[in-house]
Amino acid sequence: MTQTPDIRRPFSWQRFLRNVVFIVLAIAVYAYGWKVTRIDLKTLITDAGDIKPLVLDLLRPELFTREKQSIRLAVEYPVPCPPEFTPKPATYKGTVLEVKPACGPSNKVRLILRNGRPNTKALVRWHFPIGSDVVVAQARTDDQGNLDLVIARPKPDIGGDEGIHAAEVILEWEEGPVKISNTLRTVADKMVETIFLALMATTFGVIFALPVSFFGARNLMMTTPWGAVTYYVVRLVFNVLRSVETLIWAVIFIVWVGIGPFAGVLALTIHSIAALAKLYSEAIESIDPGPIEAITATGATRLQTIIYAVVPQVIPPFIAFTIYRWDINVRMSTVVGLVGGGGIGYILIQYINLLQYRKAAVAMWAIVIVVSLMDYLSGYVREKIV
Amino acid sequence: MLEIRKLNKIYPGGVHALKDVSFTVEDGEFVVLIGLSGSGKSTLLRSINRLVEPTSGQIIWDGVDITAADHKQLRLIRRNIGMIFQQFNLVKRLSVLTNVLTGRLGYVSQWRSLLNYWSPEEKRQAMLNLERVGIADQAWKRADELSGGQQQRVAIARALMQEPKLILADEPVASLDPATSHSVMKYILELNREDGITVICSLHFLSLAREYGTRIIALRDGRIVFDGKPEEIDDRRFKEIYGEDAVQVEIR
Repeated sequence: MTQTPDIRRPFSWQRFLRNVVFIVLAIAVYAYGWKVTRIDLKTLITDAGDIKPLVLDLLRPELFTREKQSIRLAVEYPVPCPPEFTPKPATYKGTVLEVKPACGPSNKVRLILRNGRPNTKALVRWHFPIGSDVVVAQARTDDQGNLDLVIARPKPDIGGDEGIHAAEVILEWEEGPVKISNTLRTVADKMVETIFLALMATTFGVIFALPVSFFGARNLMMTTPWGAVTYYVVRLVFNVLRSVETLIWAVIFIVWVGIGPFAGVLALTIHSIAALAKLYSEAIESIDPGPIEAITATGATRLQTIIYAVVPQVIPPFIAFTIYRWDINVRMSTVVGLVGGGGIGYILIQYINLLQYRKAAVAMWAIVIVVSLMDYLSGYVREKIV
Repeated sequence: MLEIRKLNKIYPGGVHALKDVSFTVEDGEFVVLIGLSGSGKSTLLRSINRLVEPTSGQIIWDGVDITAADHKQLRLIRRNIGMIFQQFNLVKRLSVLTNVLTGRLGYVSQWRSLLNYWSPEEKRQAMLNLERVGIADQAWKRADELSGGQQQRVAIARALMQEPKLILADEPVASLDPATSHSVMKYILELNREDGITVICSLHFLSLAREYGTRIIALRDGRIVFDGKPEEIDDRRFKEIYGEDAVQVEIR
C-alpha cells in the first residue's frame, strides 16, 4: 500500500494575520496614493478633444516653408451712425472690401470682398474702439477671389460699444519655391549642439570617473585599512552625487554659469562621473582575481599589478558602459534644455510655450530620431565589444 | 634551504587552516603536498610567498625571514619564487608573450613597465622560455585562445622569467586531462632536475605524487600527518591521509 504524502502547508494564525495586515496596509497606501495624486480618469476621456489640435500639429512638423504673402484691408464701422455718413470701402491693388450696413449698431454685419486673390485663406478680425481686437471668422475666397460673409458683430468685453469699430480682412498665402524651414535649420543646429553636449559631458565624466573608480572597487581597496576607509568615502560621494537628479544639477549650474549649453555639460558631467564610476567599480569588482594573484606573486608592485592584471580585464566593460552613458546623456541633454541647459530642449520648450506646435513637432521628431539612432548604435557597438 | 616553523593560519571566518606546521626543504628537492580539499595545501603554498598572511610562525628562506619582510623586501623575495596555479591565472586578453614578460615585472623599473615597454633582451628571453615549453609559435596569440595545457605551459614560462630559485605549484594539473597533466608535470620536473629549482607542488592524485615527488608531505585538517618518501605510503598511511572511505585511483 502506498501512502500519499500530505502536501498541505500547516495552517498558522501568525502567518494568516500577517497576510491580512499586509493586504490592508497595501490597500490603504494605494487608496491614499490615488487621492494625493488626484487621479481623474474621467478627464482623460472627456477632455480628449483638447489634445486634438496638438496631436494634429505634431503630425505635420514644419519642415519646409514657402514665402508668406499677405494683404490687409480694413473698413471703419462707426457706432452709432454719424449724420451724413458716406461709406468708404477699403481698396488695395484692385481688391475692395465693403461692410453692410456701413455703420451700426446692428447685430449682424455682412462683409463683401471683391477681386481678391482666388482660393486664399482669409482671416477676419474685428477691432473695437478702445483698440483691442478679436478674430471673428476664418474663410476662403472663391475661384473669382470674392468673399461674401455674414458675421455676428462681436461686443467688447470692456469699454463701451460706441465709437469707431473696424472690420479687417487679412488674405494670407504662400508663394515662391519650397525651402527648408528656418525651424528645421534651428532644430538641426540645436541637435548638433545636443549631441556634442552629451559627448563633452561623457568625456569629462570618463576622465574623472576612470581614476576614481579604482578607489571605489572593493576587491582592490579592502586589502588595507586605509584602503577600506577610502573605499567607503568614495562610495558615499558617488551615491550622494547620483542621488541628485541631472535636472537639479542643471538648475544649480545655470545659477552658477548662466543659461546655456555649458550649464548642461556640467550637470550631465556630474551625474556621469557618479554613474560611470559606480559601473566601472563594479566591473573591477567582478574581474577574475586569479591574474591579480599571479602578477602579485611575480614581485610586481601594486600599480604594476593593476596595469597588467586589472586593466586588460576591465577594458571591454568600460567601453560598453561609456557608450551606454553617452546614449543616456544624449537622451538627458534633450531634457536639461527644458530648464535652460542648452541644446534642443531649450528651443522645444520655447516653441511649446509660444503654442507653435508645428515647430515643436520638428524638435520632437528630431529627438525621437536621434535618440533611437543612438540607442540602436550603442546597442550594436556594445554587442560587438562584449 | 626553506625552513617553516610552527606556521599557523586562522582565517577571519575562524577557520584554522594550518596548525603548527613545521618542516624543512633542502635546495633542489621536489616536494609534493597531498591531502584532501580543504586540508590546507593551498594556504600553505600561499603562505610561503605571503599571498596569504600567516597568523603566526616563521618562514626562513636562505637565512631571510619571509614572515618579517616589509613591503619592499617581500617583493624582492617574491620575484625569486615562481608560482603556478590550478587555473593558470594568465591575463586572458593579453598576448602570450606579454603574459610571459609579466614574470619580469619584479625586475624592471615601474614606469617603464607601465608603458608596456620591454627591452629586446627581455623579449628574447621570453621567446626562449616559450621555446623551452614548446609553444614559441603561439607567442602572438591571445592567451585565452590556447588550450588548457598550453596555457599552463605559458604560466611555467612566466615563472621561468623570474629566474626563480623556488617554484610553488598549486594543483598545477587539476584542471587538465591525464595526458596533458603528464606533459605539464614533466616540464616542472625538468626545471627541478636540470635547473636545480626547488619545487613544492600540491597534487590531488597520489599516483602523480608518487611518480614525480622525491618527498611527500601530507596534510590533514591543517596538520602534517606524513612526511617522507613516496614509497613509504602504504594502505594504512593512505587511509590516515585521505580518510577511511578513500580508494586509490590511478592516473596514467
